[in-house]
Amino acid sequence: MSRKRKISLSEEELVSALRNREKIAVEALYDMYSASLFGVISRIITDIPVAEDVLQETFVKIWNSFSGYSAEKGRLFTWMVNVARNLAIDKIRSKDFKNQAKNHELENNVTFIDEQRNTVYKPELLGIRELVSTLKPEQKSILDLVYFKGYTHVEAAEELGVPLGTIKTRLRMAILQLRKHFN
Amino acid sequence: METIKEYIESGILELYVLGDISPDERLQVEKMAAEHTAVKAEIEDIERSMELFAEEHAVEPSEGLRSRIMGSMVTNLGDDRVFTKAHTRTDEIFEDDERNADNVIAMPARQTTFFKYAFAACLTLLVISVYGLVTMYNKLQDTNTQLTAMQLDKQKIANEASFKDKELDIYRDTIYRVLRLKGTAKAPSAAVTLAWNTVNKKIIVDMKSMKLPDHDTQHQYQLWALVGGKPVDLGVFDTANSIDTSGMKEMKAIAAADAFAVTIEPMGGSVNPTITEMVASGASK
Repeated sequence: MSRKRKISLSEEELVSALRNREKIAVEALYDMYSASLFGVISRIITDIPVAEDVLQETFVKIWNSFSGYSAEKGRLFTWMVNVARNLAIDKIRSKDFKNQAKNHELENNVTFIDEQRNTVYKPELLGIRELVSTLKPEQKSILDLVYFKGYTHVEAAEELGVPLGTIKTRLRMAILQLRKHFN
Repeated sequence: METIKEYIESGILELYVLGDISPDERLQVEKMAAEHTAVKAEIEDIERSMELFAEEHAVEPSEGLRSRIMGSMVTNLGDDRVFTKAHTRTDEIFEDDERNADNVIAMPARQTTFFKYAFAACLTLLVISVYGLVTMYNKLQDTNTQLTAMQLDKQKIANEASFKDKELDIYRDTIYRVLRLKGTAKAPSAAVTLAWNTVNKKIIVDMKSMKLPDHDTQHQYQLWALVGGKPVDLGVFDTANSIDTSGMKEMKAIAAADAFAVTIEPMGGSVNPTITEMVASGASK
């Protein structure tokens, strides 16, 4: 993959450029965050073209609703990833998507399954192995459900068959583990 | 300070960062963050680690997507320049903007409805074509039937015409001698036209122009030739002879005759003519 020169700004610069609705802000936004956001979206929606549509919707929504973001309430990425996750969940729960899934042709399903059961070596996943090994299995599964599958913690509690309090604790422990890992 | 620690450890800040929290709780967390720097710092820390976590899981979208998204954003950019500067937005617009965003997303949906309509149109065309074909086929069948009927008619007319020609030829041809027999005292209005072929000597009776008194079903007309004062039988004929469609009936041949006569005889004819029943006669010259 040939990488073009990517635009990178500090978060403050980016926020103010977005606020002033400068074109460069859009490019910087894409270059800095598209891969991270796509990582989340494409784990919720495995169908690549649909996931890419949702990424597009996400950027449009970020752009249109940017006045809804305020820096005092948190980091830009936190806000954006929640926009992306909500759009992705809306998409997989939408009638349209469900119908589409029913109408999947057989050939498409082959590649679909291939994508899901991917055994291709992905260098960008290298770090994750290491990261995942620092997490306990139950911490990993709770993060998977809540962060990548779009479950609410209530739904996750039902899915895993554990009390709500336990879920909250596990989630906190998992994130604490991550914090330790990144520091 | 103890309560702050407990608050942090409750796990609500993680849910806050993940957006998995009710609006009321969100307001509460934001209030706490504004009041307590420890809470704010904790949130920052969680956010940062989640951001790094996401970066670890980053997936590069396909190459073409960047320009596609830029394209859709630039059109939005144009729109927004016009509107957003005009009225200031407040923070709670989040839901409000869903409509704006939806304007842009509609593309795939539009495409599927296009195919739906295209399919419907194709189906309609197919139905119309099939209907058209069936109609055309029926018309063709009709035309074929008519054509066959016409051909039969034509054949019949051609036959008739050639037959009429033959009839006419009898009068035109110089080898025929046309003789007209006149009615006798018994049947003054009677008249029979004969054509005498001078080559093969055959006598032909013109059934059409014949005028003879009617006879019953037991009787027939009989044609005689007088040769040297003796009658010679030339055969029998009927007026309404349906079998004989020709209108011209060929009788027996006779080489030479002085005169001809027609009598009414019993069915099948007689050996000698019944003179009292003679209805027409005429000399041969």
